[in-house]
Amino acid sequence: MRTRIIRTATFLGGLYFFLYFVCPDATIEALGLKEGNEPISNGFIVIGAMAVGLGLFNLVAKHGTQLIFKRQGWPFSLALLLGLSSMLVVTTGQWIQGLRTSREIRAAQVIGEFATRIVDDAQGFAEKGSAGVKSIGVDGKIPSLKIRVGALQQYTETQIARVTNQASDMHHTWSNQTLLAELHQSAGELNFAVSALGTISGETLGAADEQTLKTFSQAAAKFSSLYSLVMRKESGRGLIQRLYDLLYQGVFIQLGSAMFALLGVYIAAAAYRAFRIRTLESALMMTAALIVMLGQIAFGKHLYEGMPALRQWLLEVPNSAAFRAIRLGAGVAGLMLAIRMWLSIESTSSSSRKK
Amino acid sequence: MEGRRIIYLLMILAVAVPVLFGVSQQPSRLVSAERMYDVVEGVSVRPGEVAMVWFDFGPGSIAENEPQATVLIEHLFRRRIPVVVISQYQQAEAFLRRIPEEVAARLERENPGQTWRYGEAWVNAGYKPGAAIYIQAMVNTPDVSKFLGRDVSGMPLTSYPAFSSIGGIEGVKMVGEVTSLVGVFDNIIQFFQKSGYRPTVVHGCTSITIPEAYIFLDSGQLNGLLEGIAGAAWYSEVLKKHFPKSDNQRLLVTNTALSMAHLMIILLIIAGNVAPLIGRVLRRMRG
Repeated sequence: MRTRIIRTATFLGGLYFFLYFVCPDATIEALGLKEGNEPISNGFIVIGAMAVGLGLFNLVAKHGTQLIFKRQGWPFSLALLLGLSSMLVVTTGQWIQGLRTSREIRAAQVIGEFATRIVDDAQGFAEKGSAGVKSIGVDGKIPSLKIRVGALQQYTETQIARVTNQASDMHHTWSNQTLLAELHQSAGELNFAVSALGTISGETLGAADEQTLKTFSQAAAKFSSLYSLVMRKESGRGLIQRLYDLLYQGVFIQLGSAMFALLGVYIAAAAYRAFRIRTLESALMMTAALIVMLGQIAFGKHLYEGMPALRQWLLEVPNSAAFRAIRLGAGVAGLMLAIRMWLSIESTSSSSRKK
Repeated sequence: MEGRRIIYLLMILAVAVPVLFGVSQQPSRLVSAERMYDVVEGVSVRPGEVAMVWFDFGPGSIAENEPQATVLIEHLFRRRIPVVVISQYQQAEAFLRRIPEEVAARLERENPGQTWRYGEAWVNAGYKPGAAIYIQAMVNTPDVSKFLGRDVSGMPLTSYPAFSSIGGIEGVKMVGEVTSLVGVFDNIIQFFQKSGYRPTVVHGCTSITIPEAYIFLDSGQLNGLLEGIAGAAWYSEVLKKHFPKSDNQRLLVTNTALSMAHLMIILLIIAGNVAPLIGRVLRRMRG
């Protein structure tokens, strides 16, 4: 039963993507798949992401057992689990910090959006209502213009106070004061724009009021953009970010680069020991390799001026022809493999073959 | 055993000497890099349109891919084309953050009074799981800004004016793919297109994947190619020609170190073939 479910799910999944890829847009739309494709794709991505969780669980189970029972190689398991847990803790901390920062930035960003929304709503009502009248708050759902502008003023003042307090705290620890000075200046400009909102007092939005709100919106956008930059820089200086940089940039990247750098010395040893001309084919291969290498380095043109051009020709003509043939062969083989997987005749776990 | 140690030592010296003493040489002229410069120069964007650069590399290929990503981002920043940096490869996360920040800081130092700021010049969409499925879904979405959702810090992309109205993939005018992974690059070539629209595609590959990338360059599916660090080095020279203040010294030093390593390998191949030959001749002469 389980095998049948797996086979059916695999077949249907493969069929969906195959049809979506080959069918014309008109057919896709007629079948109603256009809107549904994004959630379906997201579903497949989620299943893929679940495999990562499964791998994590397996790693912890396997190496945890190794460590608890002190089986052979347990110090390596300890190192792996320590690395895994420290990275998990730090990245989770970084994620939480990121969410907190983005919430704070968003709180400042909505100021401008709020002002734009007031204008948009007024224009919307004007289009629906009688020509020339820009009134809001008529259907009882949206508060009146006066209440909305008042709320906007109050909220903006709170945000300006919060942001300037934060910026003042940062003032002592930041080496580059230019950005903070810009933020203070834009807070002043926004304050000025807030006081101008006091002129909007009626229940309808006149042309002058609309202009006041637009000017306010621009000042708010500048303010929130600068605040976003300041907060991004500030979170980059935090302890969590420094720990992350230490683990990822300082340890992981350096170890990874060092491991791959070892290939260089092995290639050199292999070049000396194994790259021997014994046949015509090996002579051809070595000549091509030498031309490609010499054409890519500065030294090559000192030997022969046309070396880069010769290299280019080798890559563009014989190499492309050979590689295209290889890719074509590999493509056909890949297609066969895909069909076998699609029909569940490749994997022994989902086929009916039994031991 | 001794011979191998000497080879290792020679190789280490070949790489270390240029790096330690800051030795740099004029890189070899690579036509592909020049073509790519022209391709990027030819990309034009209207408000709302962007370039999307995929950083799909990890520590293993940082020596070649990082300089490529740097020169490409530098060129796009200089042209004031808004860039979305994104990845299909989880190990690239740190580079998505670091490279644009470093380029922006360098450009700001070079051009006092001008700014390249996060949210205006670029956004970091972060690592996206799903590879081919994700790309297929992206090309079919009517709104890329909404599809990308939030940046790495959790802010909606729609909250950044320069990135809030990309629209469908027609709003992505150029796609850059910097990777050492052939399968990942194939995802872009195969799926980042839809009926009637294919963006300009440029690619930075490692030296080992150059032969494979050429078939796509030849077929026109790829519009520009940076071949390993040598490609990045020549691209930086072309950039320097147009923007004389551009600082590419570090890149030239790294390229020189790699050139020395190549030279050493060539010499070792020659030595490996000549030494047995000389041995045979000497043995014959001795009788």
